[in-house]
Amino acid sequence: MILQTQHLYKHFDGVKAVDHLSISFEKGKITGVIGPNGSGKSTLINLLTGFIPFDSGEVIIAHTHHFTKVKCSDVAGYGLTRTFQDVRLFEQMPVLDNVLVVLTERSVFGALFEKHGKFHLAKAEEVLTRVGLFEKRHALARNLSYGQRKLLEIARVLAMNPEVIFFDEPFAGLFPEMRKVVVSVMQELKRQGKTQILVEHNMELIRELSDRCVVLDSGELLAEGEPSHVLAKREVIEAYLGE
Amino acid sequence: MDIVPQLIANSLIAGSIYAILTLGFNLTYASAKFIDMGFGVMTAIGGYTVFYVSKTLGAPLWLGLIAGILLSGFVSFLAYTFIYKPLRARKSSGAVLLIASLGTLTAVQAVIAILFTSQFQTLSGLLHGNRVFELFGAAFTAVQLSIFCVGVLLFLLLAFLLKKTLFGKATVAIGDDEEVAKIVGIDTDRAMGRLFFLSGAIGGLAGILIGFDTGIEPIMGLPWLLAAVVAAIIGGIGNIYGGIAGAFLLAFAENFGIWKIAGEWKAAIAFGLLIIFLMWRPQGIFKR
Repeated sequence: MILQTQHLYKHFDGVKAVDHLSISFEKGKITGVIGPNGSGKSTLINLLTGFIPFDSGEVIIAHTHHFTKVKCSDVAGYGLTRTFQDVRLFEQMPVLDNVLVVLTERSVFGALFEKHGKFHLAKAEEVLTRVGLFEKRHALARNLSYGQRKLLEIARVLAMNPEVIFFDEPFAGLFPEMRKVVVSVMQELKRQGKTQILVEHNMELIRELSDRCVVLDSGELLAEGEPSHVLAKREVIEAYLGE
Repeated sequence: MDIVPQLIANSLIAGSIYAILTLGFNLTYASAKFIDMGFGVMTAIGGYTVFYVSKTLGAPLWLGLIAGILLSGFVSFLAYTFIYKPLRARKSSGAVLLIASLGTLTAVQAVIAILFTSQFQTLSGLLHGNRVFELFGAAFTAVQLSIFCVGVLLFLLLAFLLKKTLFGKATVAIGDDEEVAKIVGIDTDRAMGRLFFLSGAIGGLAGILIGFDTGIEPIMGLPWLLAAVVAAIIGGIGNIYGGIAGAFLLAFAENFGIWKIAGEWKAAIAFGLLIIFLMWRPQGIFKR
């Protein structure tokens, strides 16, 4: 297990968003996280990446790091990153800079007098080519189409070279061609041994991509296991369809 | 003598000093997203450090200049580290941060008044002669010419820093979306600390230039800060290029505005212009 939660709990105004959730994500696998709207999928990602503080419980990274509080400024340092359901880019910056900025040198002088400029530029151009945005590299992020914005977010993830990636509905609103790009990127990441957590509503994609699947309902773990097996469970179908 | 060339020269000089101040102010506003009133007092720190080091202690002027710029940057860095950073970590509102920064301004201002009295001082005595030039019928001093040149150089330097270095890109990223900047691994706290240092140093530099041109007093921070804020809002708050446009528009409006009326109207013109922008173009000349 590369990432685990132990009795993770979060409530909003009396509503239990994540209710004493204990789940784990296996290294090198794609775990599909599904559940009806409001089941706590995105909240879970927000808790695990420090965007929202959790009320109680624990997050364990690589067996060794135990956290009762996750700060989003620390997340990248542990090799975790994410995409957003509502894409969040650096809107004022060109596409290329959106990728280059994640390669920023950490030291003061390193950042001011970039010593690895050519290497970083080559890396940024490589990931933009991978997602098909190389031609758009000089366009401002805010001028991209919705699908292109989603692809740029994925390019940013690739540039970071993280170990664990949370994809929050990466296929929503994408044209089929773009969808193929994201699928191939995820498959490539899997071959590289990266751990991926995929929140998605499209069950076909969950079946196609996920090695494991967890189902949330009202912030609780409803089922987990192999996707075709889990998706066939009666309680999952009921929770999803509200039957 | 036709007064128009002189009005233009005065506007360019005032615009340059406003531009320097606005550059410093916008640097932190664009990233930290609050009106840092404490920025104003950095002008007094810069000015009084030169006064103390080079006039009272008699050290060389260059040493006073370096000390003034560094100390104002350092005080700004300390204010960020010990006041604004903890408040931001608690997700305090912009109003709370504004009040806290007003506290910084007032407290530091009081310390300067205790150390140096409230008396108006001038730094011009440190310069051996301040030549007066005449160009196109307008007179201006060497100090005023320096202010203009410093303004241009500073603008070019900051534009280079923000556009061409990864530190600059990280700064823009923080201004755009601080949470995402954190998640992609940008050390926002350190970057912000550096920005406050840079901003304070620019404020200190402006204070030194003001000290050479007119003079310094402990309470100089607030009026200069307000000028910077007005120019920043007119230009498009947080936009460094817009700030320059706002600074010169404000300076021209003030100087031409008092052409036929008393100079006391200057502040009224500045704030009148501000209200016009707030009412009809709140995003400023250049939207961020």
